[in-house]
Amino acid sequence: MKNWKEKGMQGVFLLAACASILAVALICIFLFANGIPAMKEIGFLDFLTGQTWRPGNNIYGILPFILGSIYVTAGAIIIGVPIGIFTSVFMAHYCPKKIYPVLKSATELLAGIPSVVYGFFGLVVIVPLVRDYINTHGIRGNGGNSMLAASIILGIMILPTIIGVTESNMRSVPEQYYEGSLALGATKERTIFRIVIPAAKSGVIAGVVLGIGRAIGETMAVIMVAGNQPQMPQGIFRGLRTMTTNIVMEMGYAADLHREALIATAVVLFVFILIINLCVSLLNRRNDND
Amino acid sequence: MKFKKIAAVMAAAVMVMSFAAGCGSSDEGNSAGGANISVISREEGSGTRGAFVELFGVEEEVDGEKVDQTTTDATVTNNTSVMLTTVSGDENAIGYVSLGSLNDDVKAVKIDGAEATADNIKNGSYKVSRPFNIVTKDGVSEEAQDFINFILSKQGQEVVAEEGYIPLDTTTEYAASGVSGKVAVSGSSSVSPVMEKLAEAYQALNPDADIQIQTSDSTTGVTDAINGTSDIGMASRELKDSETSQGAVGTVIATDGIAVIVNNANSVDDLTVDQVKGIFTGKTLTWDEVTK
Amino acid sequence: MTKGRKIESIILKILVYAAAVITFVVLLFLLAYILINGLPHIKPELFALEYTTENASLMPALINTVIMTLLSLIIAVPFGIFSAIFLVEYAKKGNRFIGLIRLTTETLSGIPSIVYGLFGMLFFVTALGWGYSILAGAFTMSIMILPLIMRTTEEALKSVPDTYREGSFGLGAGKLRTIFRIVLPSAIPGIMAGVILAIGRIMGETAALMYTSGTVPDMAKTPMDAGRTLALHMYNLSSEGLYMDQAYATAVILLILVVGMNTLSAFVARKLTKGK
Repeated sequence: MKNWKEKGMQGVFLLAACASILAVALICIFLFANGIPAMKEIGFLDFLTGQTWRPGNNIYGILPFILGSIYVTAGAIIIGVPIGIFTSVFMAHYCPKKIYPVLKSATELLAGIPSVVYGFFGLVVIVPLVRDYINTHGIRGNGGNSMLAASIILGIMILPTIIGVTESNMRSVPEQYYEGSLALGATKERTIFRIVIPAAKSGVIAGVVLGIGRAIGETMAVIMVAGNQPQMPQGIFRGLRTMTTNIVMEMGYAADLHREALIATAVVLFVFILIINLCVSLLNRRNDND
Repeated sequence: MKFKKIAAVMAAAVMVMSFAAGCGSSDEGNSAGGANISVISREEGSGTRGAFVELFGVEEEVDGEKVDQTTTDATVTNNTSVMLTTVSGDENAIGYVSLGSLNDDVKAVKIDGAEATADNIKNGSYKVSRPFNIVTKDGVSEEAQDFINFILSKQGQEVVAEEGYIPLDTTTEYAASGVSGKVAVSGSSSVSPVMEKLAEAYQALNPDADIQIQTSDSTTGVTDAINGTSDIGMASRELKDSETSQGAVGTVIATDGIAVIVNNANSVDDLTVDQVKGIFTGKTLTWDEVTK
Repeated sequence: MTKGRKIESIILKILVYAAAVITFVVLLFLLAYILINGLPHIKPELFALEYTTENASLMPALINTVIMTLLSLIIAVPFGIFSAIFLVEYAKKGNRFIGLIRLTTETLSGIPSIVYGLFGMLFFVTALGWGYSILAGAFTMSIMILPLIMRTTEEALKSVPDTYREGSFGLGAGKLRTIFRIVLPSAIPGIMAGVILAIGRIMGETAALMYTSGTVPDMAKTPMDAGRTLALHMYNLSSEGLYMDQAYATAVILLILVVGMNTLSAFVARKLTKGK
């Protein structure tokens, strides 16, 4: 009787563990079933490398949005990663104990602000700054709604992710490393940047990759500041459209092939995320073997 | 140092990409003098955009199909408040909103000399207006029909007028029939504010009725009404032939103006239809060309 | 110490402080922006039970948020805890199947919310025919928070010392009894921290719910009714530009909820470390 119960519950646990597999399978099936036929109808190459998106005339090329997503994410990384890593160094090694709890919960707060709020903040604060810069320097722009504005907002939005992960990984580096280096006469800064961060590198990379995932998937904030022009990205002061904003912008009224093309856009986004995840697990495996 | 190498490669790749992106724009440069106009448009499925491009002739017939010629350079937003915020902050911006959403943060320009007011729309001097439609299909439920009767009655149209839209001429009185049940309404975000008011007034008369309003856009509203997802669809534009052929019937419940808006600091007060068309099709690029 | 190294140290130190200053100044800016725009507009009408166009009340949305959160947790927490138990207590290391579970969990945690939204729309709303409903939203959210709960529970279970388990076995308890009586109770603070994080995620979500739970501003009476949560409410209020003041006020309330949740999780975490 008891044995039966043990075995039964083990089965239940096993089934529960399958839930995530089932969920991924369902997501794959439903997205791919709706997206792949459309890609076929449009032509895989035409869909992925087409530079024109004009649903009214049944022309669906999402290269501008793929590039848009990549550029905006790259911009967010350039802005967010250095600030994030330096801030986490501050949090882990420089921050006075007294104000640490306040600052720590402050970074968590940054993570809890809804993305719509970030969007309006960007629209009211960042976009005018970019616009002034464009106007005073005579650069051609779209009134400040631009790749730069979107990158800045995303750079801010990924800060808590990067700070959180990097800081906890830096803290998990054994104290002896830190103290040993200091004892050998290295300065505090040199110790941190030459000993502690390299020791925590896999964690730092994981944080950065999580940040990339967050940036590439963000929608509601980007849609308000990026300009959303359905054309090839034309520079950091010009507007562009990302894959996510393309979906939200047009899903409401899309029908037939147009709608499927949008779901196919989500499939491409999904594949991007899969590739990023694969890179992370490969990196982790390599680090485990080191 | 593997980590450093990876980081360096990543940084280099990123920089190359951003430079490549930057170069694309530099050779276009500033072709004309004066401040560039930042054109802001709504998303393609929006009824406001549909009506706007039709009324200003921004759409052109190509091979028998009407094609929206709005410049691809235009910033696109699916949100009226983003439109208002952007125009109120950018001296060079031009956009358009429903008359009902117009506020003091921006300036509505006169079109061909006529100011964008409800009176001017009624007397026909301001021509940029579009109907607010409700969309139904055959076999409207009893509750939905009663709600429609209310909207089209004198009481319903009073609500419309109060909200700053142009009501229909009607004298039919509505008498509460005490219906109960759920009516699903969905569609245009331009219509839904006035629809919410109408639903409230209606529910005050019929406390047992439950009107649920989903806000999306005109095209979704029509589609929902056709496939039965909702009882009543809302559209802020005329129905298309492809929609009426599927059994959708539009009923006008009010008229709304579309205001062309610019920044308060903009010296332009008056534009012609052709000027607006030139700006939105990307033929006119600077404010100098307009004021000349 | 050479001069070059000294300069290097100074530069790095400046960079560290500069980065910290940037981060917290930006945060202050954001907070000030929300509070200045929102605080003056928090009025008692905002908390009326019934949403009307006059009051733009956030109460129905708040209640919807609570319902949505509870439903999602009811669905996701058992699955999350059970699968974590499986991974920590039963699975053998290096198993292919375990690898698959980990891979899918990681995938789930990386999927953008808009993709969840589309999937929820295709599967729960359309294929299962639930229509726009709180239930469809809750199921979508529960898939979204599942990896979060799994990961935190796993960490919490792992941090329970093996001596506890051995002690329990030594006293003759079975494996199941050991898990439910000994391991799980000592892991509860860790699990709670995960649940609180999940709640935060649900409260702030917009894109995934837009396509699943609908945008009706009224309180959902049954799980099959459509209804919008606070974040979605704020998005909708802002979209026509008619209720910007109320939208910012809603943002303040959301912020207060987030701070509340963070404080709660810090409190739980403190309990966790004290318990050790």
